[in-house]
Amino acid sequence: MNVIRFMVENQAQVLELTLEHLWLVGVSTFLATLIGVPLGILIAHRRQLNRPVLAGANIIQTIPSLALFGFLLPVPWLGARSDRLAILALTLYALLPIIRNTYEGIRGVDAAVLEAGRGMGMTEVQLLFQVELPLAMSVILSGIRVAAVISVGLATIAAAIGAGGLGEFIFRGLAMVDDRVILAGAIPAAILALLADFSVGWLERRLRLR
Amino acid sequence: MSAENTNPAIEFRDVAYRVGETQVLSGFNLHIARGETLVLLGRSGSGKTTTLKLINRLATPTSGEVLVNGASACESDVIRLRRGMGYVIQEVGLFPHFTVARNIGLVPKIGGWPEEKVRARVEELLQLVGLPAELASRYPHQLSGGQRQRVGVARALAADPNILLMDEPFGALDPLTRDELQREFLLLQRRLRKTVVFVTHDLREALRLGSRIALMEAGRLVTVLSPREFLTSPDPWASAYVRAFGDGLESAANRGAS
Amino acid sequence: MKHFWRKVCALVVCACSLLGCAPSHPGRVVVGSKNFTESFILGEMIAQQIEAHANLRVERRFYLAGSYICQQAILAGRIDVYPEYTGTALTAILKQPANGDKEAVYQRVKSEYEQRFGLTLGPALGFNDTFAMEIRGEDARRLNVKTLSEAARLAPQWRAGFGYEFMERPDGYPGLAAAYGLHFAEQPRIMDLGLLARALKDHQIDLAAGNATDGLIPALDLVALEDDRHYFPPYEAVPVIREQTVAQHPEVARALAELGGKISDEEMRQMNYEVDAQHRDTRDVVREFLQRKGLIAGTDPSTP
Repeated sequence: MNVIRFMVENQAQVLELTLEHLWLVGVSTFLATLIGVPLGILIAHRRQLNRPVLAGANIIQTIPSLALFGFLLPVPWLGARSDRLAILALTLYALLPIIRNTYEGIRGVDAAVLEAGRGMGMTEVQLLFQVELPLAMSVILSGIRVAAVISVGLATIAAAIGAGGLGEFIFRGLAMVDDRVILAGAIPAAILALLADFSVGWLERRLRLR
Repeated sequence: MSAENTNPAIEFRDVAYRVGETQVLSGFNLHIARGETLVLLGRSGSGKTTTLKLINRLATPTSGEVLVNGASACESDVIRLRRGMGYVIQEVGLFPHFTVARNIGLVPKIGGWPEEKVRARVEELLQLVGLPAELASRYPHQLSGGQRQRVGVARALAADPNILLMDEPFGALDPLTRDELQREFLLLQRRLRKTVVFVTHDLREALRLGSRIALMEAGRLVTVLSPREFLTSPDPWASAYVRAFGDGLESAANRGAS
Repeated sequence: MKHFWRKVCALVVCACSLLGCAPSHPGRVVVGSKNFTESFILGEMIAQQIEAHANLRVERRFYLAGSYICQQAILAGRIDVYPEYTGTALTAILKQPANGDKEAVYQRVKSEYEQRFGLTLGPALGFNDTFAMEIRGEDARRLNVKTLSEAARLAPQWRAGFGYEFMERPDGYPGLAAAYGLHFAEQPRIMDLGLLARALKDHQIDLAAGNATDGLIPALDLVALEDDRHYFPPYEAVPVIREQTVAQHPEVARALAELGGKISDEEMRQMNYEVDAQHRDTRDVVREFLQRKGLIAGTDPSTP
């Protein structure tokens, strides 16, 4: 098939763009987890903060991605390098699923378990790390999985502002009106999304309580 | 007998507890002696569970004082206070992601006991509550209701606390299992002589297990009587209870129905 | 359970360190270009020149959608060299006002790029692809109009057509009209770039904005008016290269230096024409040019 031959002939480029794409998705998902999980824990314990935080994350999600990239372009340090910008935008988009799932996961822990733990003299920190987080882990991972899969898709748009990744093939292919180039970007991107879904999903299943 | 033994283990001095608009508890005064099994008896909404929670500070009184071993509960370090008491609840609340052994060994573990000591204690307790040693590596969802509650009791006793708080622990079990566990509780108590505060709405259970019964209604302490006294008490609430529970209560009151 | 998490962490750390490495191109040079004909031609020329003289594998990444994308790509090291225009570099990337002559603009861009971005410029390729105001050849000859100042006198009788960007950019039509005192009969029409030449030919408009090296200028017998007041900044084509690439492969810089000044306005127009109008393969057009100039081996098949 033409596409396969094209990808084999240009394997160095395909590999390079795939790694770039993974970098964009990996760093942003990691940062979103770093910020989102603690935030989710916070709002699960302080109900008053629940609505503003979730509403904020929701608003960010509703901004069309290309528009968000556009807003951030004039920002001094960020806008100078579009991969920094892309990583920030992708991180912002990944926040909502992660925050929300962390919140739901922790609130879903059986109240009797928490009461027993507290009654036995566990500190709030011990409860968090030994009970709440392990029991909520499967749901939290589900949120991370959704975030990663969304990021793989959004990262293709990042090429429109020069951040590289597999989207570059797609945009170049569109300008060249060359299907092979478009597919050389679209197919690996789709595979990456499936891989992300599958691998995190596997982790989820292993951790879900039988 | 030294003066220490005559001091009450737990004391309620004029305790009131209010939540929003509702006065859950009012004018509550009670002494609980060391080594006794004090049953808090009452119907839903009588405030008995709240009273229990005031002891391990899962709730704090709006006014009045709760003293545990002579010290005010509110001024003591809450973590140390709770680790010095066993807590058993109706839903059991075992950690589903911990094995039975890890569940039982929880308080000793966070108290810093060495591995070996914890393992030995877990074995000891499994035997004490009548569970086979192989259960140690199982998970809670693999156990029956009765087995789970036995683990709950073992867990509560793990760090050898002097006080045991039990909130309708056998309420969710079938009558046969409940009977079994009540019997074993009596045997255990005879051996260990812990101070037990036991909440229930079941008069039969109260008569069987309690050394004294504190009857509560609408957030007030109505009367505190021994099981025998309860049966023949002229107090209107007590006699209402006796009537509601029908026949065969004497044998329960006589304890040790084998 | 603990062992499981340790394995996962190890995997994640490995993956991160792998991805953390900036892309480097050992033994190969990546040439980029923007997404219009002239840019491919220049990109292809740079590529073939390097292939012939530097003994390195060249990878082509053409059709990048504009100056900003190219700039980001070269800063991130995804491409090593691409063709840019001095005027565009000055205004769009360095965001400075465009004034000064060719030499001054070139030097300013070169020093700023070296200071700020770690990029440098090869020598200018020889032509100035600035904006050109085009009129029909027949009108130019009949009315004896060669410069914009002369055209300005006739403007009230003419209709003009421009692309959207030219109309909107402050250094586009607004500035031009001010510099030459242009007043047209009606508001200039905004048209698709591709249609402007046709519209001019068909007498729908009398003056259009195009590029000095448009392939269609000779083909359709159009004339580019001289910018006698030097309103438009110079847009000399230059290769932009990463200093790192120059350091690692000095032969690349040498190869590009040989291209300096080799392409005249006329020659660029001709190549654009061959690719755009005659639909010839860019690679062939470029190879022939390089052979004709003696930069690469092989005889030009068209010489007798």
